[in-house]
Amino acid sequence: MNNELEKIPVRNELKVLESGQKRTNPLANVFDGLVKFCQSRSMFMLHYCTGCGAIELPPAMTSRFDMERLGIQPMVTPRQADILLITGYVSIKTLKRIILTYEQMASPKYVIGICSCTVNGGMYWQSYATAKVLRDYLPVDVYIAGCMPRPEAVISGLRELMEDIKSGRAESWKKYYQHYDFYLGNQQKLFGEDWQTPTDIIAEARHYDLVSDQTLGEHTALLEKHQKPLEALEMRLSVKEKQNL
Amino acid sequence: MSKELNLWLDSLLSDIESVQFRRKNSRRVRVDVASEALPALLELLQGRASYVHLSAITCVDWIEEEQFELIYHVWSYETNSLVSVHTRIPRDPGVYLSIYDLYQPAAFFERDIHEMYGLYFEGSPDMEKFILTEWNGPPPMRKDFDSEAFVNQNFHWEQYHPQWLKDIEEEGGGITTRPEDVR
Amino acid sequence: MRPENYQAKNQPPSHEFELNFGPNHPGIEGNYAFRVKLNGDEVLSARADGGYLHRGFEKLMEQRLWIQNIALVPRICVPDPVPMEVCYSLAIEELGGLEVPERAQWIRVMQLEMSRLAAHLFAFGGHAATTGMYTPMFWGVADRDLILDRFEELTGGRVYSIYNIPGGVRREVPDGFLERMSSLLDYLESRLPDYDNLFFTNQVFIKRARDVGAMTQEQALKWGVTGPNLRATGLKFDVRRDDPYLVYDQIDFDIPTEPGGDALSRNLVRRSELKQSIRILRQVIERLPSIKGPIRCPIPNPLAWNVPAGESYTRVESSKGELAYYVVSTGGDKPYRVHVRGPSSMHAVQVLENLAVGCRLEDIAQIMFSLDACPPEVDR
Repeated sequence: MNNELEKIPVRNELKVLESGQKRTNPLANVFDGLVKFCQSRSMFMLHYCTGCGAIELPPAMTSRFDMERLGIQPMVTPRQADILLITGYVSIKTLKRIILTYEQMASPKYVIGICSCTVNGGMYWQSYATAKVLRDYLPVDVYIAGCMPRPEAVISGLRELMEDIKSGRAESWKKYYQHYDFYLGNQQKLFGEDWQTPTDIIAEARHYDLVSDQTLGEHTALLEKHQKPLEALEMRLSVKEKQNL
Repeated sequence: MSKELNLWLDSLLSDIESVQFRRKNSRRVRVDVASEALPALLELLQGRASYVHLSAITCVDWIEEEQFELIYHVWSYETNSLVSVHTRIPRDPGVYLSIYDLYQPAAFFERDIHEMYGLYFEGSPDMEKFILTEWNGPPPMRKDFDSEAFVNQNFHWEQYHPQWLKDIEEEGGGITTRPEDVR
Repeated sequence: MRPENYQAKNQPPSHEFELNFGPNHPGIEGNYAFRVKLNGDEVLSARADGGYLHRGFEKLMEQRLWIQNIALVPRICVPDPVPMEVCYSLAIEELGGLEVPERAQWIRVMQLEMSRLAAHLFAFGGHAATTGMYTPMFWGVADRDLILDRFEELTGGRVYSIYNIPGGVRREVPDGFLERMSSLLDYLESRLPDYDNLFFTNQVFIKRARDVGAMTQEQALKWGVTGPNLRATGLKFDVRRDDPYLVYDQIDFDIPTEPGGDALSRNLVRRSELKQSIRILRQVIERLPSIKGPIRCPIPNPLAWNVPAGESYTRVESSKGELAYYVVSTGGDKPYRVHVRGPSSMHAVQVLENLAVGCRLEDIAQIMFSLDACPPEVDR
């Protein structure tokens, strides 16, 4: 049997697509409006209670301030969720998990920072264990200030996100790819130089055609240094002799 | 009934040497003891005076006197009173015995004090970090760790320049004192 | 994706499988994790992993004035914030020698019991959700919302009230509040038979929760369990009765206990405590109009208040167990040391690790909710 394996191309060998090459069909933009409308009307929020603000989420989700009539439902796995709700302050240990979760979500994805602690540190500004400005580590679409915001405020913030999606302003997931060096730099400052996640952001950026001149930089070079080089997967097939069935 | 038990407890404690005790009210007693005699005193309280519930172990950092003060709060369900046993250990080696074999809840508090103050308890079953697993700075609750300086060094703040302030500045006004100067 | 992060590791063959029952999980109350070693479906050992909600409260409280800490303190326990404020205020009052007027003490008792009602409704709603019954959770959250409305009317905030200060309470009870509170209690009492039919006497729930996370009284005393969890093993102990604070010695209430030590008994104890809280609240509503007087005693200028030196250890019965504060003052305007002993410090760490051994994977969430372990109290 022929044992030659097809080599999976290593990142350096990938051809960089030129921008604008993907959308050549002139009719591709016809359904964009409809797609955005539908996306804004069926958002799945990730059910991850990261901080104190999560206690006002059950009232917002249940019958009194019903959030489901707007199409917003909780979802348990990040791979099928659209919105990452960061409800409250972010401690450094949780921030790592939030970044991992954010990178696992499929685009387009949106981040909402609830409570004033995500804006500028809030009342824990002197604390050694919380992250102050969330925008340094993840791109945020909407902030809902309060301590804590009422369920009506949460719903009105979500409505604003829906309007942003419909009008095309909520494109912060693209910012993560376009400015990855900035975000990675802040993450490395907090977590150490050998911080890495299982997700290959730069290859995804290339796939989505969102590489800008600020994606790669000194921090991504550090990431490359600490990473193990990508090896081709080896498949070992053992061929059994054909037996009489 | 509880008055007699309190009198009995007072007499029990005053019989032991190297123990100073002071009764604050009918349900709170403060005992000061040397650090070598503490486990024996706790065993006596648990065995003979039914103080079976360890409410908390607190550590206070007296940095000027270069000592750590450890306080063991024990409660008795029968006499309905709380005895707080205070002891001091020198700050420098920062090692003490664990009382896990007497009171099992001590494991949590000793682990907590170990990661927050850097104080080691010999004989405690679990000295691994619990809360600060990804922290590699100094023990944060010590008085020589300045939390605000740490924050100013490692984080930066959001720039706050809203539109209404820009309008005022265009007309010639502005902020007179910056928030950093007030603090 | 990076394939090298997902390669299988070669390990010697074993029956154990290590699962990260991680922070992002709807079966965990809050943000907390376990590392569970499983054999198929059965748990061999569990190891608690906290710190996701750590804010360094004790360090923060040393850097703020005495009165500024009142804003920090309710955030330590999120579902049940009022006992935290009251305990801190009691500690400072003991240090400073302040006499709280009687009217303020009755208002404080009213708030504490309202908060206990709200926390219990949330707790057994959550427990129902872990067994797959979502309707009691919806009902519990909706009824809790009505109590939060009363909180908002009394204090201005739905969750974090910041209404108790050392010396008393901040504002007077609004007009008509007691009538609205009374009608709310009537409504809650009329809902209890519905809860019974749906949840507490439901054979599905009883079969699910019986003998799950069972502990004997000796084990509970050895592990340092307090609160409704201890009463569910048969020991009749309540800080309100045996170490009384505020005006609890003038109020008439029972202490419910249950003999079993499993999740079902803990739930039934919470249900009985609901009835007792309603009973206490009715007594307070009856007596409050006849107690006149100031609502706080005069304190020196809070921005420059040097509390006399000393230390104090105050205990309060929160809805989860015994809550204690140890406050040390050296005569300055900031605390020297504040130590918070949350009831879940025992429940979420050691007790859960011990109870999880031998149960099935789907019961870990149930045990955690039935113990009412609150991760922000563990992490502070």
